[in-house]
Amino acid sequence: MTVDVKPADHSWYKRAIIYQVHVRTFLDSNGDGIGDFQGLDQKMDYLQELGVNAVWLMPFFPSPLRDDGYDISDYYSVHSSYGTLEDFKRFLASAHQRRIRVIIEMVLNHTSDQHPWFQESRSSKENPRRDWYVWSDSDTGYPKAGINFRDTELSNWAWDPVSKSYYWHRFFSHQPDLNYDNPAIREEMWNVMKFWLELGVDGFRLDAVPYLVEREGTNCENLPETHAVIKELRRKLDEHFPGKMLLAEANQWPAELRPYFADGDEFHMAFHFPLMPRMFMGVKLEDRKPITEILQQTPEIPQSCQWCLFLRNHDELTLEMLTDMERSYMNDSYAQEKTMRLNLGIRRRLAPLLENDRRRIELMNGMLLSLPGTPSIYYGDEIGMGDNINLGDRNGVRTPMQWTGGWNAGFSVTEPEKLYAPLIQDAVYGYPAVNVTAQNRTEHSLLNWTRRILAVRKSTDVFGCGSIEFLYPANHRILAYVRQLGTETILVVNNLSNAAQAVELDLRRYKGNILIEMFGKNIFPRVVDLPYLLTFGPYQFYWFRLRRI
Amino acid sequence: MKNARAADDSILTDEFLRQLINVGEVDILVGLPTHNNAKTIGPIVATIQAGLLAFFPRDRAAIINADGGSQDGTTELVLNAAIDDVRRGSKISALRTLHVISTQYAASPTRGTALRSILAAGELLRAKTSVVISPESTQVETDWLTKLVRPIYAGEFDLVLPTYSRHRFDGILLTNLLYPMTRALYGLRIREPYALDFAFSGTLGSQFLAQNAWQDETARAGSETYFTLNAIASRARICQSFLGTREHIERRSADLIPALRQTVGALFSSLGPHMALWNASTASQPIPTTGPEREFTLEPLRVNRKRLREMFSTGVAELESVFQAILSPSTLEELRRIARLEETEFRYPAELWVKTIYEFAVAYHKTVISRDHILQALAPLFRGRAFTFLAENRNGSADGVEDNIEALCLEFERGKPYLLELWNGTQ
Repeated sequence: MTVDVKPADHSWYKRAIIYQVHVRTFLDSNGDGIGDFQGLDQKMDYLQELGVNAVWLMPFFPSPLRDDGYDISDYYSVHSSYGTLEDFKRFLASAHQRRIRVIIEMVLNHTSDQHPWFQESRSSKENPRRDWYVWSDSDTGYPKAGINFRDTELSNWAWDPVSKSYYWHRFFSHQPDLNYDNPAIREEMWNVMKFWLELGVDGFRLDAVPYLVEREGTNCENLPETHAVIKELRRKLDEHFPGKMLLAEANQWPAELRPYFADGDEFHMAFHFPLMPRMFMGVKLEDRKPITEILQQTPEIPQSCQWCLFLRNHDELTLEMLTDMERSYMNDSYAQEKTMRLNLGIRRRLAPLLENDRRRIELMNGMLLSLPGTPSIYYGDEIGMGDNINLGDRNGVRTPMQWTGGWNAGFSVTEPEKLYAPLIQDAVYGYPAVNVTAQNRTEHSLLNWTRRILAVRKSTDVFGCGSIEFLYPANHRILAYVRQLGTETILVVNNLSNAAQAVELDLRRYKGNILIEMFGKNIFPRVVDLPYLLTFGPYQFYWFRLRRI
Repeated sequence: MKNARAADDSILTDEFLRQLINVGEVDILVGLPTHNNAKTIGPIVATIQAGLLAFFPRDRAAIINADGGSQDGTTELVLNAAIDDVRRGSKISALRTLHVISTQYAASPTRGTALRSILAAGELLRAKTSVVISPESTQVETDWLTKLVRPIYAGEFDLVLPTYSRHRFDGILLTNLLYPMTRALYGLRIREPYALDFAFSGTLGSQFLAQNAWQDETARAGSETYFTLNAIASRARICQSFLGTREHIERRSADLIPALRQTVGALFSSLGPHMALWNASTASQPIPTTGPEREFTLEPLRVNRKRLREMFSTGVAELESVFQAILSPSTLEELRRIARLEETEFRYPAELWVKTIYEFAVAYHKTVISRDHILQALAPLFRGRAFTFLAENRNGSADGVEDNIEALCLEFERGKPYLLELWNGTQ
C-alpha cells in the first residue's frame, strides 16, 4: 500500500482539516440507493480539491442500523451495503495517495444487541462471555447515572427476557454496554483497533468514552477506571503504531474534559462541545461574551494535544453544555418548531440554522477555522445543504450528498424511492438549487469560498498550532484575538453583528507592524500608538498577518 | 471623562459618543441622573442590574449614568455594575454584555441636562424603551423595571408613570398643587406628573429631545414635568404602574424654592404653549393603572407646623407689594385675613388656595414681574397651605387623606373657568 502522507509527522492532527462523512451518504456506485466505499473513492478528488486533509468516517461496520451504525454487530468487517473490506482498503490507499488521513469511528462503549458477543452473553449466566456485558438482577443499580436519550429511554437498565436479568445501557436499550471491568473485553477491543491500524487507518474517533466503566454511588461518567482503560489503549497505540491518533467524543465541560488529555498520555484530541453552541449563541446575541467566557474557562492542555472544533455534525446541535437560560434562548432562537428539537439539542444543519445567510455562514466558518483547534466540517455544509426535519431522529441531517441538479442529485442511479433516505427537495435547499456542479461553475459560490478559506488556513501552522490571546475592545460585538506561533502573528477580528460596526483595537504591542489581509493580500495601515480603527460590514471578518517590514 | 471635549453644538462629549458606539443598539436603556449620590447609588444600580438579568435576560440593555460632576465617587460606583467578558460578578449568570456608561456633562448639574443626555443616548442607541430611575429611589425593587418597561414593550403605551405607597405627608406640593392642577387642566388623573422614576418609548423620547425647550432655563430645571406635559400634549398613550414604597425624604426648608422652579415653574410655563389643549379639556378621566393609584402610610411624622404658619404670615406681610402685582385684591385681602388668625383657627381653605394658584399661573404667563420672583413668592403661601393640609389630616385615615385630596382636585376643576376668565382678560 502506498502511504504518501508523512509517517514521521506525529502531530499531523494539529494541522488537519477534517471532513466528516458517512459512507452511506456520499455516492452510490452500484445503484442500490446506498452510498458505498467505491463511491466514496470516486469522490476523493473532490475532497482533495476542497482542501481537507483528513476524513472521519462514521461507523461502517456490520450493524442492524437501528442507530445509524453506532450499534455494531461485527467489528472486523464492513457492512455489506457499503462494500467489502477490499473496497475499504482501496479507499484508504486512495485517500493516502492524496495526502488525506482517514479517521474511523470506534464504538467502544457498547455493541448492538445483535452482536454475537451479546447473544452468547445472554444465552446463559454460565456462558464464558456472560461478563462481557453489565448484568444485574435488579434495575436499581447506578441510580445517579443520567439518561442520555431521554426522549426514548426511561431507564439505563433493560430487561432481557432470555436470561431473565437486566442489562446496562447508557444509550438505546438495543445497545448493551460492554463490561470494561473484564480484562478480556479490554484485550478484545484493543485487538479490534489493532486490526484497523494494521490496515492503515490514521486514527480513531472514540465514541461515548466517558461511560466505559460504572461504579455505584457515582454518575458513572469520567471515572478514574475509565481513564485507566484509555491510558492502556494509548500506551499500546504509541508502542505499536506511533503517529496514530485518538479523538475523544465526550460531551462534557472543559474542566471535565481536561483529564482525558491527562499528561498527554490519553487522547490526542477531544471535541470542544461547549464552544459550539456558544458560537451560535454569540452570533444570535451579537455579543462575544458566550464565546470568550467558555474559552476563558477552557483549561490549558498538554502541548501535544489539541481541541477539535465543529459547527455541525451528524448528531443534533447539542445544548447539554448550556445553562437552562442559555438552552431556552437557543431553542427559541434556532428551533422555533418543536420538531426541530431532539433530546437536549437541535437537529438541523448549518445553513438552515443560519437562515441560509451567506454572511453568517462565512463568519461561523471563519471562526471555526481561526479559533484554536482542528476544525471538522460536516459533509454537505460546504455547499450549504439543507435538512429535512420530517425525517425521524437525526436522519434529517444525514440525507444524500447533492452532487448535481439531475437524477437523484447525482448520488445514485436507482429509483428515488429506493434511496436510503429521501433527497432534500425544497425550493431553497433542494438539490436542483444546491449542488456541487452548480457551485463549481460559480466563482463566488459557497463551495469555492470554502476552498479558498481552507487554502488560507493551510497556508500557515499558526491556526492549528499557535497560541491565542483575546483582545477585549469596548465594542462587545467584535470578537478579536491574536494567534501566534514563533515569529508569526495573525490578528483575527470578527463582527458578530448584523449591522456595520466600528472598533478601536489596542495594538500598541504590535507597533510598527503592517497588517496584511490574508485573503486579498492587501496592505492595511501600519500600527502606531493610537487605537487601531477598523470598520466592518455586517458579519464581516478579517484575518490579518502582521508583518514588520 | 469630565474634561473630554465635545463638539461646540453638542451636549455629548467625544468620549461619551465613543462609548455609545461601543454599545451599539439596545432594547432597554436605564438612565441614572446623578450628582453626588454615592450614599445611595450603589444598591440602586445593583438592583437595576439584578432586575435586568431577572426579567430581561435576553434583551440588549445599557445603564447610562448622566452625572453632574460628582466628587464623591458616584460614577465609580455606577461603573462597577458592568457585566462583560472581562468583568463578571461571581454569582451573576448573564447571557449578554451589560454596558454601563458614565458621562459627566460640563454644564452645572441640572436634571434637565441629565435627562437630555439620557434622551440623546436613547436616540443614538435606538432604545425601544428608556427608563429613568432616580438616585433617591432607595427602595427600588428588581420588579420596578418590568413594571415600567412591559407596558411599552407590549406596544400599548408610550409613557409609564409611577404611583407609590407614600407617607400621607410626603409630597404635599404634589398632592396640593401639581396633581390637582394638572388633572384639572389636562383632564388626566396623573398622580405623579413630576415623576422621578418613569419609562418611555423611543419614539416619545426622540420627540421630546427634538423640542426647542432645552434652551429655556425653566424647562431645563423642570424637565420631568415638561416631559409629562409634552406627552399629554402630543396625545401619547400614558399609563401608571404601582411601584411600591417610596421612602419619605426629609427636605430642608431651603429646598422648596428649587422644587417650585422644577415643578410649578414647568407647569406654569406649559400653560401658554398648551392653552388650546387645556382650554378644550373637560372633566378629568382616570388613566390605565396597574396596581393601586395611591397608597398612604400613616406612621407618625414629626413636622414643625408652627414654623410653617409663621413663615406664611411673615411672607404675606413682607411680600405685600409683590402680591399686589400677582393677586386680585379680593384674594390678597383674604390672605391678609387668614394671616392674622391664631394658629388654632388658621386654615388656608381649598377654594382660596385654588384661586391663589390660578392667579399666580396667569401672573406667571403674563410675566407681571420676574417669573422667578413669582415662584419665590409662592413659597410662603404654599407653606400656609401645607400647614392646613397637615392639620386637616393629622388624625386622618388613608381614605380620609385621599378624600381630602380628591376634594381639592374637584375644587381645582370647579375653578377652571375662573382661570380661563383670568387668562382671557375678562376678569
